[in-house]
Amino acid sequence: MLEAIQPVSIEVTVNGHNYRRDIEPRLLLVEFIREELGLTGTHIGCDTSYCGACTILLDGKPIKSCTALAVQADGCEVTTVEGLEGEQQLHPLQAAFSEHHGLQCGYCTPGMLISAYSLLQENPSPSREEICKGIAGNLCRCTGYQNIIKAVDAAAKGGN
Amino acid sequence: MEMSFNGEFEVATPRADTFALLVDPQKFIPVLPTYHSMSMKPGDADTAIVKVRVGIGKVRGIATTEMTLSEREAPLRASYTGKGKVMGSAYTMTTAFELQDSAGGGTLVKWHGTGCVYGKILSLAGGGIRSYAEREIKQVIDSLRDALSSRRHFEAVAAAAQTRPQPQAGLIESIANFFRRLFGGPEPAAPAAAAPQPQAAVAAAPAAATAKGYKDPLIPFKDIPQRIDVDGDGGKPWVGQRLRRKEDVRLVRGRGLFVDDEQAADMLHLGFVRSPYAHARIVGIDVSAAEALPGVVCTLTGAQVAAQTQPFMQMGEAPGSNLIDYGIATDRARYQGEPVVAIVAASAREVEDAAELIEVEYEVLAPNVSSEQALADSSILHDEVGSNRIFHGTWDHGDVDRAFAEADHIVKIGRLHHHRFSSTPIETAGAVVKWSQQGDIDVLCNTGLPAIAAQMIAPFLGVSTEQIRMRSYDVGGNFGTKTVTYPFVALTALASRLVGGRAVKWIETRSENLASFQGGERTFTDTEVALDKDGVITALRSRHLDDCGAYTRYEPLGCSIWSQVYCAMYKLRNLHIDFTQVVSNKPPCTPNRGYSRSQHLWFMDRVLDICAHELDIPAEQMRLRNYIQPQQFPYTTPNGNIYDSGDYPQMLNKALDLIDYSAWKEKQAQWRGQGRWIGIGIGSTLDSGTNNFGQSVYINAGSVFSGNNEAARVKVDLDGSVVVMLGSVPQGQGHETVAAQVVADVLQISPDMVKVRTGFDSHWNTFAGLSGTIASQFVVTGLSAVKGAVDKLKAELVRLAVFALQAGEEQLQFGVGETGPEVRVQGQPERAINYWMLSNLANSNTSTTPEHLRDINLNVKHIYKPNFEPLDAERKYGNQTLTYAAQIHIAVVEIDRQTFQPRILDYVVVDDCGVAINPKIVAGQVHGATCHGIGAALQEAFQFDDNGNMITSTFTDYAPITSMNMPPLQCAAIETPSPFSYNGAKGCGEGGGAPLHTLSAAVQDALYGEGVIVSESHNSPSILMQAVNKPNRAELVSVQSRQAKPAA
Repeated sequence: MLEAIQPVSIEVTVNGHNYRRDIEPRLLLVEFIREELGLTGTHIGCDTSYCGACTILLDGKPIKSCTALAVQADGCEVTTVEGLEGEQQLHPLQAAFSEHHGLQCGYCTPGMLISAYSLLQENPSPSREEICKGIAGNLCRCTGYQNIIKAVDAAAKGGN
Repeated sequence: MEMSFNGEFEVATPRADTFALLVDPQKFIPVLPTYHSMSMKPGDADTAIVKVRVGIGKVRGIATTEMTLSEREAPLRASYTGKGKVMGSAYTMTTAFELQDSAGGGTLVKWHGTGCVYGKILSLAGGGIRSYAEREIKQVIDSLRDALSSRRHFEAVAAAAQTRPQPQAGLIESIANFFRRLFGGPEPAAPAAAAPQPQAAVAAAPAAATAKGYKDPLIPFKDIPQRIDVDGDGGKPWVGQRLRRKEDVRLVRGRGLFVDDEQAADMLHLGFVRSPYAHARIVGIDVSAAEALPGVVCTLTGAQVAAQTQPFMQMGEAPGSNLIDYGIATDRARYQGEPVVAIVAASAREVEDAAELIEVEYEVLAPNVSSEQALADSSILHDEVGSNRIFHGTWDHGDVDRAFAEADHIVKIGRLHHHRFSSTPIETAGAVVKWSQQGDIDVLCNTGLPAIAAQMIAPFLGVSTEQIRMRSYDVGGNFGTKTVTYPFVALTALASRLVGGRAVKWIETRSENLASFQGGERTFTDTEVALDKDGVITALRSRHLDDCGAYTRYEPLGCSIWSQVYCAMYKLRNLHIDFTQVVSNKPPCTPNRGYSRSQHLWFMDRVLDICAHELDIPAEQMRLRNYIQPQQFPYTTPNGNIYDSGDYPQMLNKALDLIDYSAWKEKQAQWRGQGRWIGIGIGSTLDSGTNNFGQSVYINAGSVFSGNNEAARVKVDLDGSVVVMLGSVPQGQGHETVAAQVVADVLQISPDMVKVRTGFDSHWNTFAGLSGTIASQFVVTGLSAVKGAVDKLKAELVRLAVFALQAGEEQLQFGVGETGPEVRVQGQPERAINYWMLSNLANSNTSTTPEHLRDINLNVKHIYKPNFEPLDAERKYGNQTLTYAAQIHIAVVEIDRQTFQPRILDYVVVDDCGVAINPKIVAGQVHGATCHGIGAALQEAFQFDDNGNMITSTFTDYAPITSMNMPPLQCAAIETPSPFSYNGAKGCGEGGGAPLHTLSAAVQDALYGEGVIVSESHNSPSILMQAVNKPNRAELVSVQSRQAKPAA
């Protein structure tokens, strides 16, 4: 018989808002974001850190939130896709994805955007190869990556 | 209709001052408050022009009233006469004031107002006018009294240039309210939505969106200029434009609604304990420890399921159709990963806890891992079938024996094998089901074929299809793989009933998805090819063995589907194909992008390339000699399919130019000289779209399915909004956008004025029996339905407008006016009526609707049914598909001599999808299909060990293609319009698996010198290493020639 597990209290800042929750220690960060906070933009696509649909920023660094425990985010700042847009304005990456048809079903898009965002933070003018590397941890099954690469490139160059 | 009202009131202002204000619009206009919904500007000396916005939502009317001081006699009396027009009707109004000194030093104002309304407003607003008018006149007079009572106006006049007073209800605003309420419009604070605003209103709109320079991301198409008016300016149709998608804004913001995002109060979670063995008898199940866990609500074994349900309907004929399938193992598990026990618990984590506590005792049976093993029947999966052979049929057309007797060359080819893979959408399958206390079953899921799914689920549960509400919202990719999620949706529904009607959510993990839905596997043997002296194929004999895994969930339909592309793009007329399908101890197959045709097309291109190599004919020449020629279209194939249109030689030449074929040939020769393995491969393929379900007679002569149908509904809502509902289930193909393009062209409005509801919902009553998103069909079936519906809607709008505008039908013009979408009399912009008013006439003011218009409610459905004829089951003859898009790919590949890693050096794609409705979306489909094919050809394969254990059970093992493995694509297109679709378009969603053909050809070209014939569709480094180490050409291929080999 499994023993009863004591909840753990954590405090996380997500997209600028502070949340305090008592959670099961085994709760994954992605489950915390989706189920506890209701931020369902972050998706789950695999259980092995391969697909990247659950990519978020943890203290500014991209991680796959299906492979982190929520308790690991205690005291940290998290940014999800919902935190990308500006004051009622799309982030240039979001606008570029739409303009260049860098999404079809939209399921991988949140994670893809976060990875692309992180890439451009580190390398504001990446080459095609660097873009491919930057999003290599994010699967997309619809676009064949062609238009995603185009969109990231366009956003880096300042246009849509 | 005439109306008159009168009364009197007293104000403290002296008579001279009262009069002075009352008679000078130039003075009172500047101090009147400005409202969002009303503007006023001084006209000529004694005139005020008042524009009042009426209406709600996107569709609005503007009542323009010219108020003129028609009589003045200082300081005794003044009269204003107003006349105005609104939406094709007219009204006049007169208000006369008589001023007398009052006892208290103020003014006694006696007033008398008359109004007269002409034209169709009467029928629109009907009997409500008098009561509205009475109420509003009272307000006008009350506010006038208040205004005249105060000195504020006089003071304000002086300050008017610098300041503006706070809004308050004044005379003009009251008039505004009068009209607004007369027409059921919004209160002044209502937001403006997308309709253009009068100038003054824009200036005063609080914190106007554009003032801060931000754009509202909720408004799609914001950057695309709206074609406000197309009068004579030759405005380009929306169809054919590279529009951004309406879907995008919610999706890039993470605000889509996928199944797993759905939450419901008190929702439970369902998961499965699955078989660890590929083939095993279930000896015993102990759920007691699991059921004792606090969060667990219940468990459900296969036997318990079977006791409460009927097995799923089978599509084929006996004995194959004797197969019993409950979606969960009852007494025997037949593939690794088959559900054995269902668990319902408060959370997905508690389901997992419980799964660990369930003990199942198995007796392992001999597994059938390969197709050939299964065919041998040494271990039978389904006793009730009596054999592992589910289907057998022979396709025989033309005179094969004669063609072989007359052949100049006969090429014999041994075993070729098309492998198992899946396009693995990133969103796994799932459902949220609630079996309500009233007996209705609400199903939110992500299957692509909801109408068929309902027809499978209902008999299983013993309910009517009518009780099942099938819904989808956003779907995270499908590629056909979610076509057969119905067994698990049905089990989720059963669970919901068993837990008293609480909502139950079932979401697969990735490993479960990989073990549940796999693309089809086929083996080709005993192939003989007859060719003439030029290398033109004249006949083909072959034996095909399809392996559908453990259950026939959409099968054996695939045994018929492949013959849509029987002769591929080639003109041979004599074919004999012996086709068998077996079940095996591998996961059940689902349709997967290019379903069943892709396997056959790969085989046909293999045959072509093997013959070309053996006969020393360059690959491009081989194709040009064998292609069906452009002048032969529409082309009837030996088995009665009608290829609609195409120009394959033009496509090939375009592809050769695009890749600079001759330059690559030179480089290849040079690099080969250096010992490098360089191959250039061409792949030609077809994407047959819009199924004739009648081809099911090839697998079941008694089939009750045939033809095809799709539904769409277009309506003008009560406020004039244009709304579209589809019967399709979009999964990323941009249906919302292209449907809006079609509607916008018919109604001459902008796509952003068209709301297309997301997803599918059977409660919209907008679906047909075969509705869904499968088989490259939306652009034909879906858009034909949309076009039919909007044409019907337009006809209704015309009939209403003829009445409302008192104009002839031929005088009417559709477009966008100041108040949104409208119908107007050509050349007379003031004679116009917008959609809101038309909807009002049809739906909300019906007592005055004339008899001949009473059938109209501006909410129309259209069902599209293509012209398909029944097929001949005996001869296996008839038209199985409506359109045939084509793809020609060329790849240059180098195989590393050390690692055997194939690397793509160049890749071009030329497609012909007929007329592109939105070229941006078509390109996206082409890219995606190409990526799936490249992934499958080089790295993605489901692999099993000898015991049937799947050794690619996670993404990490299966390794779907990433951005690092995907080469840049050079793409071009030609358009040969389909004569069979109204818009000339051809379905293009599946892509026909071209990269598999292309890369097999390229690898063979690279390794032919090593004695290698590519016999596998999957060419990973390990397979290539084996191929080079054990060359197969001598064993696999033989050629008998009556003639010398043809000249290259």
